[in-house]
Amino acid sequence: MGLRAWLEDVRNRASRALSKPSPYGLDVDISPFLSIPEARAGGKLDVARAEEVGVNLKANAIYIQIDQTYFNYLSRIPGVEVLRIEDFVDQRPDEAQEYFWRLIDPAKDKYTALAALKGRGGYFIRVKKGVKVEEPIMACLFMSYGGLQAPHNIVIVEEGADATVYTGCTIAPEVLGLHVGISEFYVSKNAKLRFIMVHSWNRVAHVRPRTIVSVGEGGEYVSYYVNMARVRTLQTYPVVYLATEAKAFLASILLGLGDAEIDVGSGVHIHGDNSGAELISRALARDESRIVMRAQIVGEGISKGHIDCRGLMLSEKAFIQTIPELIAKSPNVTLTHEASIGRIAEDEINYLVSKGFSKDEAISALVRGFASIEIKGVPEKVKSYIESIEKVLSEKAL
Amino acid sequence: MSYAILSIKNLSVSVGSRSAIKDLNLEVSNNTVFYLLGPNGVGKTTLLRAVIGYPGYTISSGAIYFEGEDVTDKPMEYRVSKGLAIAHQIPPKLVGLRVADLLNMLCKKSGCAVSDVAKDMEITHLLHREFGKGFSGGELKRVEIATLLAQRPRLALVDEPDTGVDVDSIEIIARGLKKLVELSPHKSIVIVTHTAFIARYIEPDVTCILLNGSIARCGDSELLYKVLRYGFKSLA
Repeated sequence: MGLRAWLEDVRNRASRALSKPSPYGLDVDISPFLSIPEARAGGKLDVARAEEVGVNLKANAIYIQIDQTYFNYLSRIPGVEVLRIEDFVDQRPDEAQEYFWRLIDPAKDKYTALAALKGRGGYFIRVKKGVKVEEPIMACLFMSYGGLQAPHNIVIVEEGADATVYTGCTIAPEVLGLHVGISEFYVSKNAKLRFIMVHSWNRVAHVRPRTIVSVGEGGEYVSYYVNMARVRTLQTYPVVYLATEAKAFLASILLGLGDAEIDVGSGVHIHGDNSGAELISRALARDESRIVMRAQIVGEGISKGHIDCRGLMLSEKAFIQTIPELIAKSPNVTLTHEASIGRIAEDEINYLVSKGFSKDEAISALVRGFASIEIKGVPEKVKSYIESIEKVLSEKAL
Repeated sequence: MSYAILSIKNLSVSVGSRSAIKDLNLEVSNNTVFYLLGPNGVGKTTLLRAVIGYPGYTISSGAIYFEGEDVTDKPMEYRVSKGLAIAHQIPPKLVGLRVADLLNMLCKKSGCAVSDVAKDMEITHLLHREFGKGFSGGELKRVEIATLLAQRPRLALVDEPDTGVDVDSIEIIARGLKKLVELSPHKSIVIVTHTAFIARYIEPDVTCILLNGSIARCGDSELLYKVLRYGFKSLA
């Protein structure tokens, strides 16, 4: 099957899945987004909002997308390619056929289907064999008018390469938008990809990212996801497939504000031997927000996995649920999980007050601590981005 | 010249509906390593927590004076700001808060250097660990004493520094306590213990025995050794 036939097949499958709901999260009526005519042009980037989600607009490798119409990208880093997805497909059809809609089924649910039929843009990033990049490769996805934004992202980290992709997604205030980011990541043998995604939406936005990651032998995938502002509904469940001697570490920090309905999970399927996965999530629920944290590890070979879900109730009317799942398909699998939900313990506040903190300082320090997840081996530059995001998130949580 | 830093007069304290301290009188002077001894459950921790003003410890009668000021009705925040500090017997785990974060915040207030404090208590390897998570008994105590060193208090109240601690850690902890005495402008410290293991490394000047919520007897270092030899029952 050639590329044209493959794309036709993708569209056909998507068309048949337009009414297929996601098993998780609040169901969103996508019909208004299907009937939107041509994408509106002329949207402008809100620099302050882009910076709030940690995007460095002066980065040496960057992809910027506004709505579904404006695209700008460049790479000044040797060994790092950045393209718009359509350019990748046009310029390298054979390769595109190998990677485009290969990990994610366009008929998975109505959101993937919508993205397959109506999506525009998204980045193609390739880090060439053996190239190690300390500076994050930046991406900024901004919605200025609302409507639909459904970029398709592909990242390929070739054998022995090492890189960080940082994606900040945000929206103008008060515009009604649906964001469906499709992400297919390929981490090759002995390669390492750190993927950081920071979301800052508005009180009417719906968000449905779809991510699948394939990690080759000896490879490593590290993900750090933060939702740091209001959102109406958010549902995502990235899945990682691990080969032999591969590792995955997925951390998510979810701030629920207002009437947000958040359902975020992550799953790791360990196929190979001597592989391991660690899934960590933190939920901070304020106001009347509802947060569901899902996590699943499936172990097949000689493998280890651990899930750690913790929720912090910051209001009387909030809701948090954790659903950790461990599935062993071999006696050589060791899987564990821990989960807890509660308010900030009085004893912890009193302890810090006994050390000379005011009550407000103590609460602030504890919330900040709760929202910080240590990620080992992160380059200093990336660490500073994460620390500033955690600081902003903690302030918003209080 | 000798003077009182901490004076406790006719103090009665209850925790919930339980009366734990009854009409207790006690005085801690300058240049004093003050040991408060007593078996488990007699009210040692309650007394320290009442002195620092910890919530949940209700003073039903009596008074507490620190450096001459009546702090009986003052909140914990105020007492700590005046230079009182406590090392807890079992500090809570602080989710996500690293030892370095806490010491940094304390040192910012007091002007100390985290690296010096960490070196003194031999906890450099713990700085980037979550506070209290997976620590051994000795590590937990050393970190707790490190928080006091970072606070640089005028008078430290140290609750059971030698419980559940190996010999090597006790030596380090004792070194930390000596440093706290040096840092105190009054050159004093209050140490609460029921085993008195720590007394091998830091000699008492005054020893008081707490039994059933009241001071049963006070004396010098000889009293401590008598207790070690014959137990608390000999004093009952």
